[in-house]
Amino acid sequence: MKRFWIALAIPVAACSLSLPATAQTPQYYDLPPGGRAHDVAVTADGKEVWWTVQRGGGHGILNPETGETTIIPLGEGSAPHGVIVGPDGNAWITDGGQNAIVRVDRQTRAVKVWPLPEETGPINMNTATFDHRGRIWFTGQTGFYGRLDPATDDMRVWAAPRGRGPYGITTTPSGDVWYASLAGSHIARVDLDTGEATIVEPPTPNQGARRVWSDSQGRIWVSEWNSGNVSVHDPRDGSWQTWRLPGESPRAYSVYVDETDTVWLTDFTANAIVRFDPRTETFESFPSNRPRAEVRQMLGRPGEVWGAESGTDRLVVIRHDD
Amino acid sequence: MWWLLMALLSPAPQTPTDPGARAFQRCAACHSLRTDDLENPAPGLRGVIGRRAAAVDGFAYSDAMATAGRRGLVWNEATLARFLADPEAVVPGTTMPSQGGTAAERAAVVAWLRQRR
Repeated sequence: MKRFWIALAIPVAACSLSLPATAQTPQYYDLPPGGRAHDVAVTADGKEVWWTVQRGGGHGILNPETGETTIIPLGEGSAPHGVIVGPDGNAWITDGGQNAIVRVDRQTRAVKVWPLPEETGPINMNTATFDHRGRIWFTGQTGFYGRLDPATDDMRVWAAPRGRGPYGITTTPSGDVWYASLAGSHIARVDLDTGEATIVEPPTPNQGARRVWSDSQGRIWVSEWNSGNVSVHDPRDGSWQTWRLPGESPRAYSVYVDETDTVWLTDFTANAIVRFDPRTETFESFPSNRPRAEVRQMLGRPGEVWGAESGTDRLVVIRHDD
Repeated sequence: MWWLLMALLSPAPQTPTDPGARAFQRCAACHSLRTDDLENPAPGLRGVIGRRAAAVDGFAYSDAMATAGRRGLVWNEATLARFLADPEAVVPGTTMPSQGGTAAERAAVVAWLRQRR
């Protein structure tokens, strides 16, 4: 029987819960302190929001109605980085500490661990995405990417072309898988059969492509850490477009594209979530109300985008009605 | 079946067999072993044992790490092992994330780094 425990049931400040959040006004949820929430995911029904407790090794669960939080320990040496909602509705976690893919069953909270092949060694596991064949693809920032088929337990790991750097990863509506290489300053499309990665270079040299996300048309949006740009690649014609985030010396950490093809970014320099409307090519900034929020990733569901403030031990949501 | 053949023939990733070098893979996403590395997100680790914290000239350390260095934190086997186990506990506010792993891995990488002078 898998163990789980309720770490803290923290009542979030009553004012933030009793009042419905104004559209496009950030709402914050306090988490147990010190966990350094890295990534976040919201379930399709919106009843649970999950975050990775990178410091301490846990799967965090927030009830956004009550503010109650629960932490499921993931195992000895765990230091999870990414969490996504799988096609089965469960939490799928890239755990750098255990060097494993971890699944937490949403109903039973049972934890299942798929370690990487022993011969691979630790790869600094980063982020994951499911293809349309039920297989989960993941990146390892030390210079690897891989694939697990949970149905057969088959795990494959490939050395990334140009080595160190694989970071964010995404699946397009047609099922293609792309990842970004932060140290390698490129994006790459993975052949789902052979595993071969084909590099595509953004137009800005040494841009530090950190995370990627697909829009509804299969265009790949890229947050560029070094350059402070957001760029988009259309694989259909090979084109690129690039915009610089507002402000001085922006640092674009994460990118997420919502159901309306609006682009959400986080900027460490501005300490803000930044919304970009590709139709009008305009930015709108949502600064945190605390310094050094450091939102490293965003995910959402229709009408909601969530981020994890790793620097303040909070989750943040922006409810929107575009 | 061509893809299957290709997959079977693809070389498996080559990883070090030395436990310390193997554990250093955790660090290598951000750290190199260069002494003059100002390009990576984290400072080069050659010669780190015996070095004061935040002592690589020209590297843009976090305020937290720079303060720890000014206050006398020196990296030795004990301080580095504690830092790897829980970076935030040793240098509150550090930008180095918790990497997890086992105590044996941490001991191996510390011993390995001690030989990289």
